[in-house]
Amino acid sequence: MSKPVTRREFLNLLGAAGGTAAALRAGTALGLLPGAVKAANLDLLNLGSNQRRVAVLGGGISGLTVAYELQKMGYECTILESSHRCGGRVFTVRNGDLIDEIGNRQYCEFDNDPHMYFNAGAARIPSTHRNLLHYCKELGVELEVFINENKTCYVQDDAMLGGKPVRNIEYTTHLKGFMGELLAKALTEQELDQPFSESEAETLLSIIDSFGDLNESHLYTGSFRAGYAEGGFLKHGTQKDIIAFRDLLKTRLGRGLINANEGDTGPILMQPVGGMDKIIDGYLNHVGSNVRYRAMVAGVQVNDDGVQIAYDQDGVRHSLDVDYCFNCIPSHLMTGIPNNFPEQYIRALKYIRRGEAYKAAFQAKRRFWEDEDIYGGITWMNNPSRQIWYPTAGIHKEKGVILGAYDYGGGMYHTLMTQEERIEAHLADGEKVHPEYRNLVEKPITVAWHRMNHMLGCSARWSRNFGAGWTHEEEELYHTLQAPVNGRHYMIGDQVSMHSAWQESAVMSAQWAMADMDQRVRAELA
Amino acid sequence: MNGSRNLLVSVLMLMPLSGLISAAETEREPYDDRYCTTCHGIDGIGNEGVQAPRLAGMEDWYLRRQLENFRAGLRGRHPQDIEGLAMQPMAAKLTDASIDELVEWVGSWEYKPAEHTISGDVNAGRRLYASCAACHGADGEGNEALGAPQLAGQNDWYLLTQLKNFKARFRGNEQGDTYGQQMMTMAQSLPNEQAMRNVVAYINTLSGN
Ligand SMILES: Cc1cc2nc3c(=O)[nH]c(=O)nc-3n(C[C@H](O)[C@H](O)[C@H](O)COP(=O)(O)OP(=O)(O)OC[C@H]3O[C@@H](n4cnc5c(N)ncnc54)[C@H](O)[C@@H]3O)c2cc1C
Ligand code: HEC
Ligand code: HEC
Repeated sequence: MSKPVTRREFLNLLGAAGGTAAALRAGTALGLLPGAVKAANLDLLNLGSNQRRVAVLGGGISGLTVAYELQKMGYECTILESSHRCGGRVFTVRNGDLIDEIGNRQYCEFDNDPHMYFNAGAARIPSTHRNLLHYCKELGVELEVFINENKTCYVQDDAMLGGKPVRNIEYTTHLKGFMGELLAKALTEQELDQPFSESEAETLLSIIDSFGDLNESHLYTGSFRAGYAEGGFLKHGTQKDIIAFRDLLKTRLGRGLINANEGDTGPILMQPVGGMDKIIDGYLNHVGSNVRYRAMVAGVQVNDDGVQIAYDQDGVRHSLDVDYCFNCIPSHLMTGIPNNFPEQYIRALKYIRRGEAYKAAFQAKRRFWEDEDIYGGITWMNNPSRQIWYPTAGIHKEKGVILGAYDYGGGMYHTLMTQEERIEAHLADGEKVHPEYRNLVEKPITVAWHRMNHMLGCSARWSRNFGAGWTHEEEELYHTLQAPVNGRHYMIGDQVSMHSAWQESAVMSAQWAMADMDQRVRAELA
Repeated sequence: MNGSRNLLVSVLMLMPLSGLISAAETEREPYDDRYCTTCHGIDGIGNEGVQAPRLAGMEDWYLRRQLENFRAGLRGRHPQDIEGLAMQPMAAKLTDASIDELVEWVGSWEYKPAEHTISGDVNAGRRLYASCAACHGADGEGNEALGAPQLAGQNDWYLLTQLKNFKARFRGNEQGDTYGQQMMTMAQSLPNEQAMRNVVAYINTLSGN
């Protein structure tokens, strides 16, 4: 057959199969240690006896970060929030709360108990989101670990095993077993063995054996990792039947299962005890009295020496003159507010596409999942509801709030339905996993971010072609929007980041803007 | 977290408990139907970002008919009428009384012609518009007697969407939508998107009066 490949060729081959990124990573990993990136150390000038007025447009987490930091430095901050609440996409729903979906207003009827809440927007904080965690710490927001991947949860696909739900642990154990066997076979063939030294090849093979729990002949014959059919404590455990490789391949859910602990959800994930909006409360403990609620920004005029804001509150148009303005109003809403921004800046605002995101939740009459050894985590389904999340909060209490659907983008499937149709869809999907589901859950709520008042979307999309990455034009528009107008007006929020849909990005955009303003204020006062 | 609700609660504490309304209800966030500006822009100037057109200056009779048509599902129910589907659920919840109130509110906004974003062959557009003028008026000012709305000054991207939707029968194809049906028939005379752009570019030159 072909001649043996050299190590360099092997790396190139990896690159060819996995894209240049894979080759690059293979290369740098040899030489570089991962660097520790510190949380941005904001070094803002305290104004002392000087005065500066700041308007924060929108009480999203980025806006609140600005108000909180600048107030500490002696700035006079006013937050204008068009909704009845701050937090924007940080939205925890509890008993009595209004879900202000346009055309589908709901009030939450969950029992009034501290653990009976639903994080309808942001729900998870990776341990690498240092800037957000820095504020959690500073604001005294108590955190707990969030159970994300949980292998006792289920995998369900109508196409696999007649739709019977399978435990994640069974599915992934067998999948890795079969994949391991394939890898081992490949490695023991001459060509692939060639680039490695004997000891490297041995090490690799032993890792593959462990990956797949293979036997001495590097074959997969089932594994206790999948759990016991019976026994295991006082008696010897008996092994569960293997699910045939072919059956596992009936579903593509394996793709999500195998990378559940990678990327953004790779680090330990956390959540504030009692709901994500405890972070918002933390900020409001400091700047709450500066917020004007139901105050809808109605105009932004940037001048040489400041910004003039118009806003509507109680049916009256007010105006507010400030020195600096930080604006986290979603770009697609800002385009409907009169302004005198430069042409290219408006182009950038219009360029961003709004994403869709949808979540639904039920109150469970009892914590039926705990009877099935499930404590927190995610069940994956190949149906439009996609996921069921069992709550981390309230273990062993009577009731709990479970997520009954999470469509994290790419469609309006549920959004276009009526409330009744949505609920029925989630019940029908859920009962494929939990046959009694319909009788066990009640008091549904649905949150279609594309229709939420004052938001109308989630996750700014800059790149038109996700696979191909950002174009040069997109990069330029992004930098246009990041830069201030006249050194006075800053767009902020996760929309002004390259990693939208994370609070960390919103917080960092705010820090970037404040640091930029700080330079200007220092220059003025010098 | 919750601004006005906290306020309500504290006001409640000062008041003797009234047996008329339950505490649970009074604590709830109040609302009205004035959602329009979230989508249609401040004072109804139109918002390209959500593809919701200018409402300021719209004829009362036309505004009312569209709200009623959306409410009745005569408009904005076709699965491919993406933008109409965004508007329809809003209208579905309106009562007659709130439509009255909204027409009055929208009527209080000052008309400003929308900015132009579409260019095309204006001369070709003028020729095409000859068949439109009978109903929409030579200056695009509309004609109440014929039920045809003003076109001049409307957001051009919105006009284009409508022409496409009429032509594809996403709008105007419902039984009972008599005015929509007339326009749907007319839209068939526009051969392709370029023709639509040309006629819209020409409408951009009209004064509306
Ligand atoms: C379903 C979902 C899941 C998510 N999951 C996570 C997660 O697990 N972890 C995580 O970290 N992040 C998550 N995110 C993302 C996170 O919620 C956002 O990145 C973050 O909250 C964005 O904050 P922001 O400051 O950009 O402003 P936004 O939250 O967008 O706030 C904008 C504010 O502007 C206000 N506003 C709008 N119009 C006007 C006007 N005319 N005048 C005045 N005010 C106005 C709005 O009412 C709102 O309060 C999720 C989001 C969603 C929707
Ligand atoms: C969720 C966003 C949204 C809200 C809220 C909303 N609209 Fe709309 N509306 C739209 C969109 C998008 C269109 C364009 C539909 C199309 O392209 O066919 C539209 C179209 C319309 C039209 C048709 C215009 C025409 O020229 O035929 C009228 C009238 C209208 N809206 C009135 C209102 C009023 C009044 C309100 C407030 C009660 C309102 N809308 C609230 C999004 C919205
Ligand atoms: C026979 C009369 C008639 C003719 C001719 C006609 N229209 Fe219309 N048009 C109408 C009516 C009636 C409506 C309102 C439909 C409704 O109420 O839903 C309308 C609606 C429209 C709309 C949507 C306006 C809005 O605000 O949503 C556009 C755009 C439009 N016409 C463009 C044209 C163009 C371009 C032509 C020429 C090619 C044309 N019309 C010819 C009767 C006509």
